[in-house]
Amino acid sequence: MAELQSQAAHAATTPAVMSPWDKVVNLVSRYPVAFMTLFFILFPFVVPYQALATQIIIWGLFALGYNVCLGYTGMLSFGHAAYFGVGSYTLGIVLIRLWENVWFGLACATFMGGITALVLGYLCIKRRGIYFALLTLAFAQLLYFVAFQWVNLTGGDNGLRNIPAVPLALPGFSVDIHDPLRFYFFVLFFVVLALLLLQRILQSPFGRVLEAVRENDPRARSCGYETSNVRWLAFIVSGAISGLAGGLYALYLHFVGIESLYWVTSGQILMITLLGGMGSFIGPFIGAGVFLFLEDVLSAITVNWMIFLGTVFILCVLFFPDGIWGTFVKLIGRKSALKR
Amino acid sequence: MEPMLTTIGLTKNFGGLTAVNNVNFSIYPGDAQSIIGPNGAGKSTFFKLISGEIKPSRGKIMFNGKDITKLPQTKVSHRGIAVAYQITNIFPLLTVFENVRVAAQSRKTTFNFWSKAESHSEISDQALHILEEIGLIQFRHDIAANLSHGDQKRLEIGIALATKPELLLLDEPTAGLSPTETRQTIELIKNISEHLTIILVEHKMTVVMEVSDKITVLHYGSLLAQGSPEDIRNNEEVRRVYLGGVKM
Repeated sequence: MAELQSQAAHAATTPAVMSPWDKVVNLVSRYPVAFMTLFFILFPFVVPYQALATQIIIWGLFALGYNVCLGYTGMLSFGHAAYFGVGSYTLGIVLIRLWENVWFGLACATFMGGITALVLGYLCIKRRGIYFALLTLAFAQLLYFVAFQWVNLTGGDNGLRNIPAVPLALPGFSVDIHDPLRFYFFVLFFVVLALLLLQRILQSPFGRVLEAVRENDPRARSCGYETSNVRWLAFIVSGAISGLAGGLYALYLHFVGIESLYWVTSGQILMITLLGGMGSFIGPFIGAGVFLFLEDVLSAITVNWMIFLGTVFILCVLFFPDGIWGTFVKLIGRKSALKR
Repeated sequence: MEPMLTTIGLTKNFGGLTAVNNVNFSIYPGDAQSIIGPNGAGKSTFFKLISGEIKPSRGKIMFNGKDITKLPQTKVSHRGIAVAYQITNIFPLLTVFENVRVAAQSRKTTFNFWSKAESHSEISDQALHILEEIGLIQFRHDIAANLSHGDQKRLEIGIALATKPELLLLDEPTAGLSPTETRQTIELIKNISEHLTIILVEHKMTVVMEVSDKITVLHYGSLLAQGSPEDIRNNEEVRRVYLGGVKM
């Protein structure tokens, strides 16, 4: 029995003969966090400019949080701008008004993202499918208009300006993180932290319940799982990570735009996740990379760059529903299956 | 001996249609009972009422001496009633092992966020044990959606077993199976019935006659007859409404 169990633990089926590609995919899928950390350490040195790398991993982090909802639990939220935006505004307001401490600001952003998801999630989670998506959209738009009207706190239409560039306080000394490369590694620290945390959660019994709920909600319920609570918790985790990403983004821009709460942001994160491939760690980051890179290149050519990005997105959804990473894994899998 | 499950005047109306009408039913621990009846007789609705998936319009359900009529489905599951559904209802993209393991886990560690799921060896052992019992141990690494229909139906039973029920409701476990597969499933049910109480809804008379201690016949939602397989076989009215033409 013990032998069977250890085999069951390594549920990944390893083919007898492996091509180099198989080996790469296998290694990456088995140790995604280690692989991604390594990759992201080299990443800022291969992109055109370092700020793009920072944007990519911030949006990747946001997509990673979003993916807890969409990829792992099967909830299509169309209102994740709410948690991202709330995170952004929280960081900005904390740094301007309360305490010029980056750690505290980011902790508050994460916390407020989670709390917003807790409240809005409670109101949305009882509905499924399209109704859920519409409710999340409605509440996110509600927050948008609140931020729009509450000029004293948020700066309204002008956005929240002049977020101070405070140095990062570490025990004993402080570091200026507003050099692009330093800031990149500061963000990477949180990305790796989030990856490790999520990996742990997804491999835990709770993570398995998430997958069961995604696969077959009524059956999970008949097995005795209170699936609404499970979804709610996943939603809160997702909101907290989105809040953290929002906080980092505000810190990066020294500014919070009102559009961070707008539905376009929700749409963008959905696009990024689908583009990269949902239900994996790597997909969201690939999606963020492709999306932001295309935006960077295309917007230099034409103001109507969305047309081209939209076309790429439609083609992706039509022909590669598993996203870039998902399609890649499948292709490699099929090749090695043919060989055997 | 007290019955394990009793329904008293159980009734379910869907608008003007009475799907289950004033049914009094009871089953004793260790028994295997079958419920038969023509299509639309209310068998599946009766199961849904017992498992808490839908609430009755009138009547009461007692399980181990306690009223479970108003309990939600999840609570009923935790009290010890499990269902293996007629339409295969598995977790399609999880492995066969994980299908059973996640069901077994529902008794213990839902909100554990930190330990590795597989490190709970008691749960994994239980899952492997069940896979052996239902004869799918060699497929444990496969994705459940890739199993044959017959194997999926047995996995369905495995998921139900993994929740450690006292009472197992089997809704047409042999529907759509080949004769060989049906044979395997009959043996499986016989094995299970040695340590569990079973209520079976089934159309194949060979299955019903072989595994049941007692048979209940429903007709238009009402109880038509109840008795041993022998009694039912010889009951004139049952023959007329249901078994007419069916060779037993």
